[in-house]
Amino acid sequence: MAGNASVAEAAAKPAAYTPASRTPAPQSNFAPWKDPAKNPIVRFENVTKRFGDFVAIKDCTLDIYEREFFALLGPSGCGKSTLLRMLAGFEKPTEGRIFVNGKDITDLAPYERTDVNMMFQSYALFPHMTVERNIGFGLRQDGMEKSAIEARVAEAMALLELGKFAQRKPHQLSGGQQQRVALARAIAKKPRIMLLDEPLGALDKRLRQQAQFELMRIQETTGTTFVIVTHDQEEAMTVASRIAVMNHGELAHIATPGEIYEFPGSRYVANFIGDVNIFEGKVSAIDGNDVTIDWPSGNDSFTAQGSAGLTIGQQVWLAMRPEKVRIFQTKPTEACNAIPGKVVDVGYLGSISHYHVKVASGQQVTALRANAAQTVEHNIKWDDDVWLEWPYDAGMILTK
Amino acid sequence: MRRWYVIGAPYIWLLLFFLVPFFIVFKISLSDIATAIPPYTPTLDLSGGWEAIKTFFSELDFENYSFIVNDPLYVDAYWSSVRIAAIATLITLLVAYPIAYGMARAPKDWQPTLMMLVILPFWTSFLIRVYAWMGILKKEGLLNLFLMNMGLISEPLTILNTNTAVYIGIVYSYLPFMILPLYSSLEKIKPSLLEAAEDLGSPPWKAFWQVTFPLSLPGIFAGCLLVFIPAVGEFVIPDLLGGSDTLMIGKTLWSEFFNNRDWPVSSAVAVVLLIVLILPIVLFQRMQQNQAEAGR
Repeated sequence: MAGNASVAEAAAKPAAYTPASRTPAPQSNFAPWKDPAKNPIVRFENVTKRFGDFVAIKDCTLDIYEREFFALLGPSGCGKSTLLRMLAGFEKPTEGRIFVNGKDITDLAPYERTDVNMMFQSYALFPHMTVERNIGFGLRQDGMEKSAIEARVAEAMALLELGKFAQRKPHQLSGGQQQRVALARAIAKKPRIMLLDEPLGALDKRLRQQAQFELMRIQETTGTTFVIVTHDQEEAMTVASRIAVMNHGELAHIATPGEIYEFPGSRYVANFIGDVNIFEGKVSAIDGNDVTIDWPSGNDSFTAQGSAGLTIGQQVWLAMRPEKVRIFQTKPTEACNAIPGKVVDVGYLGSISHYHVKVASGQQVTALRANAAQTVEHNIKWDDDVWLEWPYDAGMILTK
Repeated sequence: MRRWYVIGAPYIWLLLFFLVPFFIVFKISLSDIATAIPPYTPTLDLSGGWEAIKTFFSELDFENYSFIVNDPLYVDAYWSSVRIAAIATLITLLVAYPIAYGMARAPKDWQPTLMMLVILPFWTSFLIRVYAWMGILKKEGLLNLFLMNMGLISEPLTILNTNTAVYIGIVYSYLPFMILPLYSSLEKIKPSLLEAAEDLGSPPWKAFWQVTFPLSLPGIFAGCLLVFIPAVGEFVIPDLLGGSDTLMIGKTLWSEFFNNRDWPVSSAVAVVLLIVLILPIVLFQRMQQNQAEAGR
């Protein structure tokens, strides 16, 4: 899933190899955030941003490391764009400091932030300039020599396959081409940090997937640190080495896509990233790492793992991804978590099927099954009585 | 068929109220002055048959045009009109640009009100507003009183009946025609363009010249032509505010017509004025068309 970019990254720098810890989905060995010796390239230090009474960003502390593809993910209005705009210099933090490469840039104007360039959501291409002039705009500001500018522009155009559009005006380009020009214009400045504000939001789905891989390719080849703002969780999962999920101006969770999917840390994050089944319950017993959770509304109890920080009697939520819930027509033997239910809905998607099962508590639980056998007969149908089962290590215990 | 009515209507309008009057004026300009009613000759008398029509045409000539072109009075008046109009247009642009810029940058819900304020003077008669300027600019007028009370000047300034007063009058009267097209082109510039320029290393004042100014050029052209074209032929302002040495073609035309009662020469002056203005008018039309096409 995550970070093809980071895979290549690790391949290029075998020295950065760190032994894989017990993460269930180790996508790569690129993990500078785990290395205490590494200095972050971007640091937000207790940054708060208020617009009048409205708190857009609440005491945010965040480190981003060199060559990361960092995604700020959240619903609209969660403050992710504000955070990015503060890094670009368009907004000033009300409190706190921002550092780039150890240097305090909080009070610098956008045009003084030479390490940072931004690609805008609306692309913001200059309508009165050709593609070539647009891409060279930033270089002309630096007073570079003409021949050097031409070489850089050609390089950026080659990187994004824009050569044949050099003399066109932005309004003569398609949306996908405009998006590439906007990217080329920012990348031509060779910033150390590239900011992307919903860069693919205006593209249709097919084009967006292509563009995601293009972004990853550019990030790899240029070795630039990318910070992307998106509301599309799939996009974040695809491109990012780490994701920060934001909620009402706060960083709800920062982790790799795999970690965030498997260990979301809160119901908000679990719900925001992918589908999830959640059972509300209370801790009734702790045995080492094993936890028994009473599920009063279903008159049952579950076993799960991860006892750290839990106390008996504490209210918890057991969250489970649909693909980890198995569905049976008879009660499975030797299962540690199995509950009966009735199928209320079957969604056949070809490669997989969704089963919506109503369980004792009245809630609907989703189970996912791959259609491995080639058949049009599907033995589980509407109104069938079924059993749902999941292993003790499939669920995640959430406390908030 | 019905389509032709719709398309035909404006053309019939133009024919009746522009082309026909123009040809009447043009015909008079080819005639000779006469002490008669109407005060020119020849007049077309269709009852005389084909012969009469032939004599009629044989009596028309371009004498008046060669007179205008060779008499420095007229050439100077044209030249001076164009120069005064051009300078006034430039001053109007310099005054209007910051106003339009401020309007375009103002909070969105203020903008209709600001627009209203720009158009508001049109609710009073143009003539009355020019007369009001006489009251302001004359020796014992408001401006001199104010400046003297402030202790800035000891002697009243002579502004009324000079070219300065004409410039003030033109700039004041035509300001809205400059502000509105400027505003409409400035308002279309997305703020993200300036942010992008700044992000790419261009300080705000540089971003203005690299992004805002070039993108407002259509508004600048439209505004300048909207001011320049009527200002060249302006009569009321130079007549009321200008002095005896203010030479403008509108005034010349008026005195030729009403003082000398020389209809043929004044018609020729009017036709030449139209020719002088054809180039900017065509430019303006072209630009509007280009814009309409680019906007598609």
